[in-house]
Amino acid sequence: MSGTESVAFDTPQRERRADTFAMWVFIGSEAMLFGAIFLVFLVAHIDFGPAFAAASKRLSLPLGTLNTAVLITSSFTMALAHMLALHRRWRPTIWALVATAALGVCFLIVKGIEYGKEISEGLAPLLGLPFRYAGPDPVHAEFFFGLYFTMTSLHALHLIGGIVVIAGMIALWRPSGPANRLRRVVAVGLYWHFVDIIWVFMFPVLYLINR
Amino acid sequence: MSELRKLTFGYLGLLALLALTVGSSFVALGGFNVALNLAIAAAKAILIAMLFMHLTGTLPRLAVAAAGLWLVILFGLTLIGR
Amino acid sequence: MTNAAMQGTYLGQGSGLRAWLLSTDHKRVAWLYLISLTAFFFLGGAMAVLMRIELATPAGDLVSDDVYNRLFSLHGIIMVWFFLVPSIPATMGNFLLPLMIGARDLAFPRLNLASWYVFIFGSLFALFAVVAGGVDTGWTFYTPLSTLYANGFVSTAAFGVFVVGFSTIMTGINFIVTVHTLRAPGLTWFRLPIFVWTLYATSLVMVLATPVLAASLILIVLERVFGIGIFNPDLGGDPLLFQHLFWFYSHPAVYIMILPGMGVVSEVLPCFSRRPLFGYKAVAMSSMAIAVFGFLVWGHHMFVSGQSAYAGVVFSFLSFCVAIPSAIKVFNWSLTLRKGEISFETPMLYALFFLGLFTFGGLAGLFLAALAVDVHVHDTYFVIAHFHYIMVGGMVTAYMAGLHFWWSKLTGRMYSETAGRIAATVTFVGFNLTFFPQYMLGFNGMPRRYHTYPPEFQFWNVLSSAGAVVLAIGYLMPLFYLGWSLFRGARAPDNPWNATGLEWQTSSPPPPHNFETMPVVTRPAYAYDMKGLEHERFSPHREEAAR
Repeated sequence: MSGTESVAFDTPQRERRADTFAMWVFIGSEAMLFGAIFLVFLVAHIDFGPAFAAASKRLSLPLGTLNTAVLITSSFTMALAHMLALHRRWRPTIWALVATAALGVCFLIVKGIEYGKEISEGLAPLLGLPFRYAGPDPVHAEFFFGLYFTMTSLHALHLIGGIVVIAGMIALWRPSGPANRLRRVVAVGLYWHFVDIIWVFMFPVLYLINR
Repeated sequence: MSELRKLTFGYLGLLALLALTVGSSFVALGGFNVALNLAIAAAKAILIAMLFMHLTGTLPRLAVAAAGLWLVILFGLTLIGR
Repeated sequence: MTNAAMQGTYLGQGSGLRAWLLSTDHKRVAWLYLISLTAFFFLGGAMAVLMRIELATPAGDLVSDDVYNRLFSLHGIIMVWFFLVPSIPATMGNFLLPLMIGARDLAFPRLNLASWYVFIFGSLFALFAVVAGGVDTGWTFYTPLSTLYANGFVSTAAFGVFVVGFSTIMTGINFIVTVHTLRAPGLTWFRLPIFVWTLYATSLVMVLATPVLAASLILIVLERVFGIGIFNPDLGGDPLLFQHLFWFYSHPAVYIMILPGMGVVSEVLPCFSRRPLFGYKAVAMSSMAIAVFGFLVWGHHMFVSGQSAYAGVVFSFLSFCVAIPSAIKVFNWSLTLRKGEISFETPMLYALFFLGLFTFGGLAGLFLAALAVDVHVHDTYFVIAHFHYIMVGGMVTAYMAGLHFWWSKLTGRMYSETAGRIAATVTFVGFNLTFFPQYMLGFNGMPRRYHTYPPEFQFWNVLSSAGAVVLAIGYLMPLFYLGWSLFRGARAPDNPWNATGLEWQTSSPPPPHNFETMPVVTRPAYAYDMKGLEHERFSPHREEAAR
């Protein structure tokens, strides 16, 4: 077959359309996963609004804001990679991809610093770590932090997945032909932007609501 | 390249929205804080989807619409019982 | 199986283990699934037989209560996630979808093979849970039992189910994209066989519901392993919320299981009554309606859970609504038979049994959808009988119908028709003997999930246990005569049933990329009423066969 990866397709154009559609279906599926988690948060928030608002104030807004900016920037560089790949300018494409992955790593580092801070302050109700929370209604504040760690670590896992895939794509860059390169950049890009969108919702929900 | 300009404007718009959402949280608007934050998040999501993800064509839109409808079902029917 | 006759078919493309385990050909992946699912079916079935033997007497004499809890939990987990959910889609769907729409393969052949490996990886966790000591939460993993009190290998089993969910989503995405992008020229949506419609509807449910199950299982594992108390009432968590998330997946999962069965029956009934499917569009659209309505009714599993009465009324009403598209299908199938030239080959027998058993089980569903009646029969054997009529009487029967209908296409061989008819009849008798008594037991108040019971229930329990033995024989028979046919069966013609559909227009078994010449479709599905059908038919292999 001429330039298609799957025997099912006769032209690379048709295959790319199918790829894009498949990624969107996958994103829809992922949206249901995060939707369910957000629903759990929403239900808890309805029940324990004041406790959640008080607990939310203990998160670091500067670091959260910084991370949001980092992730938005990584989305921008990913969009640049897509644009460059469309024009078949492969070398800058690689640099844009490297920048995207590096920004992803930055996000993870900042997130790690945040986690470290929260653990040292005794705000991490995990693995039997001591939970020392001075504010009102510590039981439900603990619930908030449990959800905070669940949601952010699930997001971070998705980000790690994205970074690994970008790294793999760059490692396999040389042997893959132009059609495959473009297909992969498009597919990974869609995933990356989706992970960004999830954070765009997670940030206000966890850090800002009812401050 | 007009494409580059479009992406850059999108990027700057996203940063502006971020500043707006963080800033708004320091102003007490009562219940509107929540609504405003979520509206800004939705605006950012739409920007990303349209400019960065090129959400065009029937099939991708179909996928997004389906996920949206099913999220409404999930949230709606879970919350009616409460 | 490899011999001269198989040269040039997908079976002739290498017979070593490597050629099977690494092939991305959808037809070979279908076989990988078929073999693994058969193993799981008999494993889950063996557990059911053990339970029925225990229940033959009122006392708990064969197994202890603890072992019994583990038996029914693993029976449920294995049958639901490792057999029923993937059953028809991953085996016959995988094999036939590209053939039916005139494609060379699924859109993503490597994703398809990967889905099988993910499935095996996940199912190994479940098998480990079985060997290591089992799970006693029931297949539903209800919190807070599963998070705070159960001491079995809950995390292992839940993680296994979680991983298998990925394989389900992979298959779903692959099918959706394939149907949208790879239909042959002329194959418009309303010329698609109903089997394709139902696979499409099923895939939709798979893709949109499975992630919610994944979320709820992640939260259970997090709670057990990391101590994050999401569903723990002591922490303000809401155990009921787990049920919402779980049933948001698990009720539609019932339609994941039954829809492909409906598709198989829609292929078989027209073929053996030589009539076009009555009300094709209504049947196609009702499949989509079931996929959507199926998401609106999950609360009927929670009528007595403490959800608000208002929610109960809404869910009760919506549950009645989902009966409408199912009824549309049943009426259309029945009208397809009207004035048909009906013949009773094995696939047709199974399909007719499906029609009866599914209707019978479905009508019991209306009792359960009614709020007041459900309070009476909730968690009794009435519920067990209801969903086994749908899942086993419906789905497994349809699975057998499909397996026999397309066996010649899968293998290039014919099985013994006599043995097939006997097995179908034994299954039907055994099934009703097993599960009809359970309606009576449930209505009289025998609760599910107990290994002992008061002596007055023994009569019906003995009948049910005897039926389980007959049913087991009915299911074991095909293992032998189908297995035998693989090596000794007569060579099958390309289209032994004289059926319409693109899959019959290529050779049996098909060549590696399905069609020598890519087909063009010019007529609707099920054109059994067209004159001179077989002479017009596109058949690149006819000359070869005649030689």
